[in-house]
Amino acid sequence: MTIQNRDQFLNRIAASLGRPRHTDGVERPKWSVNPQLEVLKGQTQENLIDVLEKQCKIIHTVFKRTDKNGLEQVLKETIKAYNGKSIIVPNDPRNEQYGLLNLFHEIEQRIETHIWDYTKQKENQIFAERADIGITFSDITLAESATVTLFHHKDHGRTISLLPHSYIAIIPRETIVPRMTQATQQIHEAIAKGEDVASCVSFISGPSNSADIEMNLIVGVHGPVHATYIVVD
Amino acid sequence: MKVSLFITCLCDIFSANVGKDTVEILERVGCNVDFPELQTCCGQPAYNSGYVKEAKQSMKQMIRAFKDSDYVVGPSGSCVGMLKEYPNLFKGDKEWEEDAKELADKSYELTQFLVDVVGIVDVGSTFNGRITYHPSCHMTRILGVNDAPILLLKQIEGIEFIELPVKEDCCGFGGTFSVKNAAISEEMVKEKSQHVTETKAEYLVGGDMGCLMNIGGRMQREGKKVEVVHITEILNTTD
Amino acid sequence: MSIQINESPFQERVQKGIENDFMRQAVSSAQGRFRTGKLTQAEELGNWEDWRQLGEEIRKHTVENLDYYLQQLSDQVSRRGGNVFFASTAEEATEYIQNVIKNKEAKKVVKSKSMVTEEIGLNHALELGGVEVVESDLGEWILQLDDDPPSHIVTPALHKNKEQIRETFAEKRGYTNSDKPEELASFSRDQLRKEFLSADVGITGCNFAIAESGTITLVTNEGNAEMATTLTDTLVTVMGMERIVPTWEEMEILVGLLTRSAVCQKLTSYITAYTGSRLEDEIDGPDDYHLVIVDNGRSKILGTEFQAALHCIRCAACINVCPVYRHIGGHAHNSIYPGPIGAVLTPLLDGYQDHTELPYASSLCGACTEACPVKIPLHDMLIKHRQIIVEKENKAPTAEKMMMKGFAKWSSSPAAYILSTKMARLALKAWTKDDTIENGPGPLKNWTNSRNFPAPSKQSFRAWYKEREKSGGAS
Repeated sequence: MTIQNRDQFLNRIAASLGRPRHTDGVERPKWSVNPQLEVLKGQTQENLIDVLEKQCKIIHTVFKRTDKNGLEQVLKETIKAYNGKSIIVPNDPRNEQYGLLNLFHEIEQRIETHIWDYTKQKENQIFAERADIGITFSDITLAESATVTLFHHKDHGRTISLLPHSYIAIIPRETIVPRMTQATQQIHEAIAKGEDVASCVSFISGPSNSADIEMNLIVGVHGPVHATYIVVD
Repeated sequence: MKVSLFITCLCDIFSANVGKDTVEILERVGCNVDFPELQTCCGQPAYNSGYVKEAKQSMKQMIRAFKDSDYVVGPSGSCVGMLKEYPNLFKGDKEWEEDAKELADKSYELTQFLVDVVGIVDVGSTFNGRITYHPSCHMTRILGVNDAPILLLKQIEGIEFIELPVKEDCCGFGGTFSVKNAAISEEMVKEKSQHVTETKAEYLVGGDMGCLMNIGGRMQREGKKVEVVHITEILNTTD
Repeated sequence: MSIQINESPFQERVQKGIENDFMRQAVSSAQGRFRTGKLTQAEELGNWEDWRQLGEEIRKHTVENLDYYLQQLSDQVSRRGGNVFFASTAEEATEYIQNVIKNKEAKKVVKSKSMVTEEIGLNHALELGGVEVVESDLGEWILQLDDDPPSHIVTPALHKNKEQIRETFAEKRGYTNSDKPEELASFSRDQLRKEFLSADVGITGCNFAIAESGTITLVTNEGNAEMATTLTDTLVTVMGMERIVPTWEEMEILVGLLTRSAVCQKLTSYITAYTGSRLEDEIDGPDDYHLVIVDNGRSKILGTEFQAALHCIRCAACINVCPVYRHIGGHAHNSIYPGPIGAVLTPLLDGYQDHTELPYASSLCGACTEACPVKIPLHDMLIKHRQIIVEKENKAPTAEKMMMKGFAKWSSSPAAYILSTKMARLALKAWTKDDTIENGPGPLKNWTNSRNFPAPSKQSFRAWYKEREKSGGAS
């Protein structure tokens, strides 16, 4: 694709900085301090789950915990609590591993379900827009900020976690890391190895909100109004 | 310990008592105090207004005045903070660079000197009363002196110490700012006065004469009864 | 210039701000919340000073090697299917974006909050071309409906109360419900959802571009940036050229500093990191992507004593602690960048001519410098501006110049100085009553208009000291 006016622009920067243009060989220095590595360092997975649970309260997110066997029941309760009549999910191999396909089969009489299918083009977005609930699996979960990280791709549309009225994140226990540091480190290392990063990575912490009116926190402005995290052991 | 008093021009002219108290406190804790007569103003009014050339003239005078001193100690966080900036301002000036650094290195604000250098927190004061303390911006943010004045005050037996709400907020003095942007300065000092009133303290204590003139002048105008005093006055009450 | 928002003289704007009770109340309570909120965040994090140190090191290194990282960024964006346009001026940037829109025959543009698009006057330029522009950030949308400029860089409608917002909604969009924030927000959600779904082009700003992968990171609570980047087929990102980091690892550090300093949160609800055009078979995201990198005066700041101003991450921490901002509000600054960082940046980007008062509208209390998460020495830069206004721009008032010349003579001559300590009381005697001056002469009048001024001591310190020495010194 095109890059316009670059040389003249970057030459001007170099001139202002009073040196020749740097076109290669720039290395990040070793930073004198790395406080990010100290946060929640050496915590057990159990402790991290506690941190996650506490942070969920702060970000207006319902926290639940179960195991693979109990997931179906917890999902049913949550869907009911959100009065869900329509649900959208990505086309994720974990749908089957975690029993979502069975669940959908069981509830299909009462609840409309949609599994992302890129061959159906914009239909996916249209369904997401009118869906009551979007459900995704978290790829990396950040305990400190209660954040789910989603790597979007052709089978995993960005709209699933964004347009429905409520959002449910299924968090496999092993995806939980202390903080964003570990997630971005993984991404950085993959890039360094020559991999391409996903076209969109979303770090989502609870429902959408705003404090733009008299600094009062209002939940649910553009994105979901409600959010539930389900940690699965 | 041989100490040279840096009186600051504000105290020299408007608050001679602060200077007297400073001398007496330093002597009481065993210092040998002298007063280099050639000292004038630290140059801050000009420097902060953008007149660096003019400011440097007074700075040079200060460097000359304290050339032979071991320690330079003044009752002001702001003015001492200015001395600490000298090395930056004379960087690259062969004639003055070294002397500027020497002066900066040996200069201390009074409470900082008492606590950090002399190593004392009880200066033998017997003050009685309910006080609150305004930590001036330059004392804390420029000079980095936060605890010393509080340690000294809390040590005094007869004192009831009340925390000033939002104490870190500027009182609105800001040197020439107080006349150049008088309308904004007025709103700031009104708010500070309000906060002082909320504490119901009998005394507002501070370590910088400029701020105290500002807050005191405002509280007097509002007819408020609080006495606005420099910390030296409290530390030097010994009857 | 679009950086300016107001044409009345500075002191008038100040007065207007001071008289705006609602605004002052709103700003004051917001600042109060930030004060406690940020303390909690910094405490929970621990080592706050280490974090600031790291933030500063990252910003310094990046800006010092800006040409390299922008080259890397643009290569990566291009490789990932995006077009990159380097715009030297606001005009070049707006013209390019106008052409993108024209080529798409687009009628409606949806935007997520972006200060640089305010700076280059993008909305105005697009609207002149007959394009409908919809701001999707709730605060920005409120201001847009009311044709009011932002007064804060993070919460742009801070100066408006809910009654005013209700009225605006009623008048402009037929709103009939109450002024409860929840109802106002719910109405906005419905209205803006429609706008998102019907927009042809999305335009966003950029919090941090990541050079190593060509990724743009956007930080929001509302999720509006995630909407804009997801739902439109044509997407334009506009970034100030300094808003870049080397890798994802530095992005993480700066995002953490930003969210803590801007809104006292560990992270905001949405951090959206998108790269180029959507990939094959992806449905969401743009298939036509453009990155516009804007200089607009920034390169003039590089290599000067103000270079660190380009380290700014637009968190508004300096604004949230500034007592001057609290009393006069954002509009008095006459810049879309208000508060301390605004007073530093605005004269650099827009020249001193219309902004000579800004660097002086500070008591130099240093609260801004202390709050800045990347350690920009803001109050020192204000002093540097003053020096330039005096020495280079020659814009200082004559009376002040005379006074400072006098000051230099006085303070460099011990004889003159000592004489003045003796004469001060006498000189002010005519205005003194009970050791107090209530109506001072000359410049002192500005002081005594609102507070008393003390009379000089009966005996100057040095006179006392001399006497004491004569009588044998220390008792």
